[in-house]
Amino acid sequence: MDLGTRKILDRSFTAVGITSILLMAAALLVVIVPIFSGGIGAIFFKGTIEHRKLQYNEFGNGDKEVMQRQIEETNAYRSRVFAMLGEFDAELESMEPAESKALRSSYKKVREALAHLFGPLPGDPEPILTRYQYGTTRWEQAEEALHDLMYVSKWDYSDPTQMAKQYFVPRTDDFKGTKLAALFPYMEENLVNMMLPEQTFYWGFITDRSLDSHIFGGIWAEIQGTFFLAVGAMLFAFPLGVTAAIYFTEYAKDNIFTSILRSANSTLAGVPSIVFGLFGLAFFINTIKVSESKSVIAGSLTLAIMILPTIIRAAEEAILAVPKTYKEASLSLGSTKWRTIVTVILPAALPGIITGGIISLGRAAGETAPIIFTAAVSVGATIGLADVFSSPTPALSWNIYNLASEHEAANEIRHVQYGMVLALISIVLLLNLSAILLRARISKKLKG
Amino acid sequence: MAEAPLNSPQKPDAFVMTPERLRRQRIAKFLGEGFLLVVASFVAIVVLFIFYFVAVDAIPFFQQRGFGEFFTSTGWYPADEPGEFGALAIMYGSGMVTIGSALIAVPLGIAAAICLSDVLPFAVRQYAKPVIEMLAAIPSVAYGFFALVIFAPLLQNYGGPLLMWTWWLIAGPFVFLAVIVVSDLVTSGSQSTDTRKTIRWTVTVVFGVIALFFLYYVGRTLNEIQILSGTNALNVSLILSFMALPTIVSVSEDSLQAVGRELREGSYALGATRAETIVKTVLPAASSGILAAVILGIMRAIGETMVVWMASGNSSHIPEPWFNYLDSIRTLTATIAGDMGEADQVTGSARYHVLFAMGLLLLIISFVSNLVSERIVVRQRKVLAGE
Amino acid sequence: MQMTAVEKEAQTSAAAGSSNREIFLPPERQRIKDGGTPHVSAKNFSIFYGNFEAVKKVTADILSKYVTAIIGPSGCGKSTFLRAINRMNDLIPSCYATGTLMFDGEDIYGRYTDEVQLRKKIGMVFQKPNPFPKPIFDNIAYGPRLHGVKDKKTLEEIVEKSLRKAALWDEVKDRLDRNALGLSGGQQQRLCVARTLAVEPDILLLDEPTSALDPKATAKIEDLIEELRGSYTILIVTHNMQQASRVSDYTMFYYEGDLIEYAPTKQLFTNPRDQVTEDYITGRFS
Repeated sequence: MDLGTRKILDRSFTAVGITSILLMAAALLVVIVPIFSGGIGAIFFKGTIEHRKLQYNEFGNGDKEVMQRQIEETNAYRSRVFAMLGEFDAELESMEPAESKALRSSYKKVREALAHLFGPLPGDPEPILTRYQYGTTRWEQAEEALHDLMYVSKWDYSDPTQMAKQYFVPRTDDFKGTKLAALFPYMEENLVNMMLPEQTFYWGFITDRSLDSHIFGGIWAEIQGTFFLAVGAMLFAFPLGVTAAIYFTEYAKDNIFTSILRSANSTLAGVPSIVFGLFGLAFFINTIKVSESKSVIAGSLTLAIMILPTIIRAAEEAILAVPKTYKEASLSLGSTKWRTIVTVILPAALPGIITGGIISLGRAAGETAPIIFTAAVSVGATIGLADVFSSPTPALSWNIYNLASEHEAANEIRHVQYGMVLALISIVLLLNLSAILLRARISKKLKG
Repeated sequence: MAEAPLNSPQKPDAFVMTPERLRRQRIAKFLGEGFLLVVASFVAIVVLFIFYFVAVDAIPFFQQRGFGEFFTSTGWYPADEPGEFGALAIMYGSGMVTIGSALIAVPLGIAAAICLSDVLPFAVRQYAKPVIEMLAAIPSVAYGFFALVIFAPLLQNYGGPLLMWTWWLIAGPFVFLAVIVVSDLVTSGSQSTDTRKTIRWTVTVVFGVIALFFLYYVGRTLNEIQILSGTNALNVSLILSFMALPTIVSVSEDSLQAVGRELREGSYALGATRAETIVKTVLPAASSGILAAVILGIMRAIGETMVVWMASGNSSHIPEPWFNYLDSIRTLTATIAGDMGEADQVTGSARYHVLFAMGLLLLIISFVSNLVSERIVVRQRKVLAGE
Repeated sequence: MQMTAVEKEAQTSAAAGSSNREIFLPPERQRIKDGGTPHVSAKNFSIFYGNFEAVKKVTADILSKYVTAIIGPSGCGKSTFLRAINRMNDLIPSCYATGTLMFDGEDIYGRYTDEVQLRKKIGMVFQKPNPFPKPIFDNIAYGPRLHGVKDKKTLEEIVEKSLRKAALWDEVKDRLDRNALGLSGGQQQRLCVARTLAVEPDILLLDEPTSALDPKATAKIEDLIEELRGSYTILIVTHNMQQASRVSDYTMFYYEGDLIEYAPTKQLFTNPRDQVTEDYITGRFS
């Protein structure tokens, strides 16, 4: 080959390598950026008067007087809508049955959209579910509801080779000449006055309980559940893992038994996470019955055996990284082996061990598969510390799955899902970041 | 000094012990080390327990239904009465996303590992490593959420153009590189430099035009593809490859680093370029370590649950045609996760035990691949140590 | 090798006739008969790494309160011998010893020996300064605390006394709570000496204590050894023959595991008995 061609090949080779790194970084960004921007929307958004009503009624937040004033303000505008509805109701009654029947179904849609916007309309029965007691709490949802009110969605099947296309026709067309016709321009003009959107910082998203399976409210129960599960797993795995690492680094003899133990460790590290879930179900719950059914303790134990190999490995590495001279110095001063380990080696290895622990904590917090059968429930109240032995808990990881895939109104609570993912990713990445920083500080310290 | 020095009175700091103290010391040592050993053996015990308890719940399924149906039938109707438990399509689905993710992650991961170990300056490497660790740290359910809520609609709505642009951006440079290399090779026989230059230019132009047409044609075909559902094997493969990448990159990089500088310097001294050095010298030496990395990475893809559960479409059939990555599939892990909810209540039914059978299958696969990769790593270490 | 060395020495001592004093007295070869009481005495003492005999049947007395230097080329077994005295070799799994090595009349490798108590009495300073990553005070107090001193006042006294003995007190008295790793290399090494002195050992083993230090710091350590002479039995392994001749009273020369020659320093350097010794100290090999 030509030298020129060889050089081109060499450059392209370098380019491929760099591109692949850039691609990975890009992939990380592509995953994280939308989740961050979407997740922030769960906390920072334009909240309507309905949001403030709900906050005041359910959580006791907010200024009552301001809210009263705003409610009166909005009611002034809303009452015109309700008046129009009343007039139209009367008009419907007076119409020919055939004529009114044609209008009724579209009118029902109108009422639904309005109820969605404002909460229960005058004359409707008092709803039982919280989700129907309030209107839309978020401005962008109010705009969507307005769109549903203003337009009828239709599907175009004209081209059989293509997928059907959606298109919209104004709903006013249905109500031309009736008393309701004035409603549509009025709604479009006065939506802001009826909803009074304000930029809202909803910190309560993190600290509030959820209302009506996450239609409203926050994610505290999930955050707490994740915390219980992950910390519980650490409580079991950390002491065990560090002790095992001490054995492997300081006491284990170089024989077949030790190599079997090491092999078992890497086998455990490779077991698929769902199999841990199966094992947790079959062993902790069905065999030794740590609890009647799913519980935090069963989940924590399952997570603990999952993160054990990581902790052992990290602790081993940290202990091996302690200069041998420390050990020699301590022993030469007349210290026993065990005391040397406790007073010299472990303190020196501690930052490294903790780094491994933090990363494992993040893993335990983020895993879903092991807790599906052992600890997680979709809907649940926050549990007390005393309940960990008997009751299951909601957890961020599981509820992200559940809200995104199985919730009946998955599309309407995207902001909650994003918020949960952001919360989970933030927890895990912050843990990892602190581990990375801690490690950087250690290596700096070792360099002197 | 077989017997105790009875004549010397025991001073508090005497370094010679009484037999009594020796015995006590020995017992303490025995107990202490025994305790540590028990704790260290805990992991091995757990592994045994996992195998035992998963197998114990898996065996009743095979006793009731035998092996034939599970491994050869594609009919998966566990809720029917009597149920059908053919897991072939499900295993096929697992295999499909595993191979799909490997096809993406292995080249990318090895290229990135080479870049990290041989191309990038140390300063950059310091920042690249944490990025890779972050990629590994993101919980799988977050990836699943991304795949389901963000990526799947994107794929569904803009699938064709997305595929086309991906094809052009990725295949384009490689195709043109191939044109340059091929035209060089084709013309290498001719003698005179002047004629050679002319011939070479012509050949390059001809091949280049053909390549352009090829790129355009394939791109257009891809552009016209309509993706019916964004939750499909392609989506899952792509996301799984992200998840396998960190493992592949970091283990391969370790393996590349383990190949000493001497080998590289020897190759450079003979006039090889960096690419030639790496491809012809370093990669062969590190190959077994890289193979282990690939196995470990693939294991992550086989064992992953949440992404496939959320974004694979969960439909138990073998795609038509068999390589159609744009079709929905179902995997072993997702089946276990998804069906346990219904099966849980009726412990003892085939429906419950079949999920453990799948778990056992996964467990055996992971165990074997782990052993293999461990063997490979040990062997490479021995080879590099010159044993 | 062993036999030839013995024969050779028998010849040389015969050739030397009744010169000076009797240093070599076969069959109690390499045993110094004059100038003090033996503190550590080896008899047919060998150390093995697996099958490799790193120290071969050494018989020698190390005299109380004198400074004894151990010299020899790399890998000759001098460090191994030194580390055998406080059983630091126990850390190496394949390492074991045969023969006897006595300290204060008791067998160091005896069945009833508590190596922990032994190491308290036989302190050691290593090649590279190895202070713990702790405050200076805690470094010195580490040993006394291990052995049960809890009283703060007593600890302070011990720390001050040890640091003064190690000639470090004036340099660090204002920053006892600072991390010891912040000290210079020479200071760190003196800190290690002080740390060893704090447990009040009888013997001080110095394993090439100045090899990682610059000349100035080396001089300070040598001064320190000079200060300590007479209070402790000191054994120093060194690569540096000038250092051995400067600081030591007696010198042992090891070569390939054999103790070739053991004599008063002055004599060994001016009038070596053995050809190998002479070759080594004149720099024909190193």
